[in-house]
Amino acid sequence: MLRLERVSAGYGRVTILHGISIEVGQGEVVTIVGANGAGKTTTLRTIAGLVRPTEGSITFEGKDIGRLPAHEVVDLGITLIPEGRQLFPYMTVRENLLMGAYTPRARAEADQTLQFAFSLFPRVKEKLDQHAGSLSGGEQQMVAIARGLMAKPKLLLFDEPSLGLAPIIVKQVFETIDKIVATGVTVLIVEQNVFHTLSIADRGYVLENGEITMTDTGAALLKNDHVRRAYLGI
Amino acid sequence: MNDGKLAAFGLDKRGAILVALLLAAILAIPLGVRSDFVFHIFITICLYGALSTAWNIVGGFAGQLSLGHAIFYGLGAYTAGLLVPYGISPWFGMFAGAALSAVVAVLISVPCFRLRGPFFALATIAFLEVVFQLALHFKGITGGAVGLMVPLQIGWEWMIFREREPSLLIAFGLLLLTLLVAGWIRHSRFGYYLIATREREPAAQAAGIDSLKVRLWAVAISAALTSMVGTFHGMYLTFIEPEAMFSLTLSIQIAMFALIGGIGTVLGPLLGTLLVVPLTELARGWLGASAIGLHGFIYGTVLVLIVLFMPDGLVGFFTRKTHPRPDEAAAQPGALQASAGALVHDPAEPEEARTIGEPILVAEKLNKAFGGLRVAQDLDLTVQQGEVLGIIGPNGAGKTTLFNMLSGFLPPDSGVVRVRDRNGQWVTPGSPHEFARIGVGRTFQIVQPFAAMTVLENIMVGAFHHHAGRKEAREKALEVAERMGLWAQRDMEARNLTIGGQKRLEVARVMATEPRILLLDEVMAGLNQTDIRQAITLIEKIRDAGVTVIAIEHVMQAIMALSDRVVVLNSARLLANGKPEDVVRDPAVIEAYLGEEFVHAAA
Amino acid sequence: MTVFWQLVLNGLMLGGLFAIISVGLTLIFGIIRLVNFAHGELLMVGMYATFLLTTQLGVHPYALAPPVVLLLFVVGVLIQRFILQPLLEARDHHVQIFATVGLSTALINLALLLFGADIHSTPAYGARTALSFGPFRILTGHVVMFVAGILVVGGLHLFLQRTYLGRAIRATAQHRHAAQLMGIDINRIYIITFGIGAACVGLAATLVAPMYPVSPTVGTYFVLTAFVVVVLGGMGSLHGAFIGALIIGLVDSLSGYYIAPDLKEVVIFAIFLLILLVRPTGLFGLGRGSE
Repeated sequence: MLRLERVSAGYGRVTILHGISIEVGQGEVVTIVGANGAGKTTTLRTIAGLVRPTEGSITFEGKDIGRLPAHEVVDLGITLIPEGRQLFPYMTVRENLLMGAYTPRARAEADQTLQFAFSLFPRVKEKLDQHAGSLSGGEQQMVAIARGLMAKPKLLLFDEPSLGLAPIIVKQVFETIDKIVATGVTVLIVEQNVFHTLSIADRGYVLENGEITMTDTGAALLKNDHVRRAYLGI
Repeated sequence: MNDGKLAAFGLDKRGAILVALLLAAILAIPLGVRSDFVFHIFITICLYGALSTAWNIVGGFAGQLSLGHAIFYGLGAYTAGLLVPYGISPWFGMFAGAALSAVVAVLISVPCFRLRGPFFALATIAFLEVVFQLALHFKGITGGAVGLMVPLQIGWEWMIFREREPSLLIAFGLLLLTLLVAGWIRHSRFGYYLIATREREPAAQAAGIDSLKVRLWAVAISAALTSMVGTFHGMYLTFIEPEAMFSLTLSIQIAMFALIGGIGTVLGPLLGTLLVVPLTELARGWLGASAIGLHGFIYGTVLVLIVLFMPDGLVGFFTRKTHPRPDEAAAQPGALQASAGALVHDPAEPEEARTIGEPILVAEKLNKAFGGLRVAQDLDLTVQQGEVLGIIGPNGAGKTTLFNMLSGFLPPDSGVVRVRDRNGQWVTPGSPHEFARIGVGRTFQIVQPFAAMTVLENIMVGAFHHHAGRKEAREKALEVAERMGLWAQRDMEARNLTIGGQKRLEVARVMATEPRILLLDEVMAGLNQTDIRQAITLIEKIRDAGVTVIAIEHVMQAIMALSDRVVVLNSARLLANGKPEDVVRDPAVIEAYLGEEFVHAAA
Repeated sequence: MTVFWQLVLNGLMLGGLFAIISVGLTLIFGIIRLVNFAHGELLMVGMYATFLLTTQLGVHPYALAPPVVLLLFVVGVLIQRFILQPLLEARDHHVQIFATVGLSTALINLALLLFGADIHSTPAYGARTALSFGPFRILTGHVVMFVAGILVVGGLHLFLQRTYLGRAIRATAQHRHAAQLMGIDINRIYIITFGIGAACVGLAATLVAPMYPVSPTVGTYFVLTAFVVVVLGGMGSLHGAFIGALIIGLVDSLSGYYIAPDLKEVVIFAIFLLILLVRPTGLFGLGRGSE
């Protein structure tokens, strides 16, 4: 479904990704793990069209998307739920969700999608008329995910969905991701919460200093000594 | 001038000859041609060149876009003009006006420097309008809209002449004076401080720079010079009116010339003037004097084109054309070996038995909240002299917030940070530069290079802290560059370094301030294995030289290798504190990092 | 007392005029984060267009609102697309300031070249006729401006709150990266926003033209006041601009009478500096004014 081949990318003169190759199949849950600064976020931003790859190719459903601007990538069905939520703070929750369905394709089905989002996040329905900026971190993350769903994505990219959340909320977030996966959406997820992600992922990639150093099934990586050392020095 | 003096103005021999030829031409052409029109053009060039060069000290070096500089120009003209009827020479008035302008400039700037970018520009316009309206209102002093005639007393004493030559000489003298001042500033400690403050104010403060103070000095000098030119121009015109003296158009023009020539460079403003003034005079010649508005139209259009296509101005355009990009020069093979070599044959410090001594930094009950979000809750921390303290914790735990409080960048809501100074007294510094001065140095998680400076110049900003002279600072910076493995890249522009290089530069700059306590914020994030090993060696050396190190780090390998002690932050609180090997086995710590389930899975 | 209330009335009417000029300025700042130093010159362009069309065609200036608004929209779109958009990612703020300052200088002097420094009066077609309300008198044109000011601010507010495009504009202002992730083409949003901001000035120009003579520097006079209004109301806030405009209108009218006519600008700029320095977010700013 999504294929990155020898992709290099960075900001200005600084190259962050050095020729990484990643594949995500239809219906899979794939994760990228790696230390801070390894280039995980850059990978997702490059797929989403926010960062231009300097080398290599990115194809989605057979179409080359490496040169497309971000808003056209969204239209094709790839949605990034960014690190730190990035809600529109002075808009109501309802407006945030409507913005999620901005593309013509998603706008036509906005009402149905909204009902689906409410079924996943009953709490969000209660907060519809509040400003997004006034919600708690956990609620904001729920809105961010719901907003991402509003775009009717085929491929959802999650960037650190558990960042800055209390453990109990993290658990809820991952349960939600499970439910989303169950509806047939393909997921690529980047997380520092290694255990959670690897345990729900079909496959994982280990990214170190902008290079893929290892790839295996989620379960195998979870037992891997190298992964454990890289994460806690044990 | 000998080479040393030339170097103080940043010139080599060839550059010096070119500048001398340029200046000689400005003087020689009108004296040779001797037509009134040519005199007029060159006097105009000298005046605008001088005004623009003076403006550039604030607008360029300090990066504060004043669009109200006519205030000082007008003050200079009015001060001298009003003193003449009392029999006081405008030469005296020139200095009186300069002093007055400097004071006014500082009074205006103290509040305005809190504003940034367009808001600062708007505030300076507003001040100019207020002064202009007041000048119109107080007719008794200023002559109001009618203006004032300066009594026609001829001679050097009164700065008014029948011939054009003396006026040209004075205008040229003013141009020379402003160029010398600007050139001296640019290449002295003061200039480095100004540019560092402009580029990255936090990093400048961390290098011990009192950013407000250097900016105020810059604005005072700039205003005084502008005022002196204003005095002369008032005498040259022999007529002073608020409309011409406190003019927004003039303020914009002098800023414009600097931008066209190359903002922030010494010669840029003059070059901009040399391009635009003759161009407009020629165009006026072709289209006739009736073409009112033509010069302004050309100014505006040239400015827009320059901004779009040559944002570094004429100077930037030509230096780029004639010099190879520094990174190309440094990217040659061998650069890497050289830097590795520098690390190897580094003169080894005598290895002393390291003793961890008395407390040197104490934080008590630090609390901080942003809005409803608590980012620090009752944090207590004692740091011993000579130890390496590692700080770890998940993203968002409040590590950088803690650093910001330990270095004066963020005042805690409650609680206190105390540092033991060189004489053993406990003090609580009040601002980032005071922390730096007492010996607390820090790096920033998001690297903050002074992008427009070379690597060496970046390090010199730190070195100036203990070495006021440019030469001494340069030597110190060279020494630090070598120790930090930045020798091969020393003449590169900082923005062109690799991420690893920028991290090393970040450490190098703070090491050049010779800190006693060093706060390192994720200096290893994003580095590859080789770089990480180098960084560990580097920090060991720093530690062995007697510097106390506090390091926020995610690279566990480095934390384990370096730290004498580790504290763990989680959700704004201190979660654990102890020996590194104990801390990582603490179940609470593992949970904070990997999630609860991992504890069971690992068990 | 009659004098006082007449002055208040004048002030409010003047406020309507300031509001309609300021609203485009605050919109452009709020969305694009750009301080448009050439805003006054857009007004000047609109006023010359109105003056020329009215005198040449003999049409009521108000009837020229549609073509002038459209003209300014196009001018705004072109400025954003070809001058400002290439500078959006620039390292320094100063290039954007200089681009609009340069544009302003070029436009003022172009007008000087084309029309000379003299002032030209647009035929008023009754806009300068006074209406009497008991002891009070107001000019018809001022009432029109006041009503138009309310309509424009209200209309823009509804547009931004209720339409998809309006929401996309707000979303872009609040988080430009997130807006891209929603599928919003932010460059297009910026171009449209600048166009709308300029179009507001176009409408203002047709309403101002019959009331005030046009000259190359007419924009400078009005836009300095507009900056005060916008900073007072809070950069980027529409209703802030409206209330700020009314306040400045009142200050202008009252201080001109009770202090001195030639010092009213000093009072206005003193308020401006006070707000910038003490509360840079203005009365209704969202805490982002000092960016």
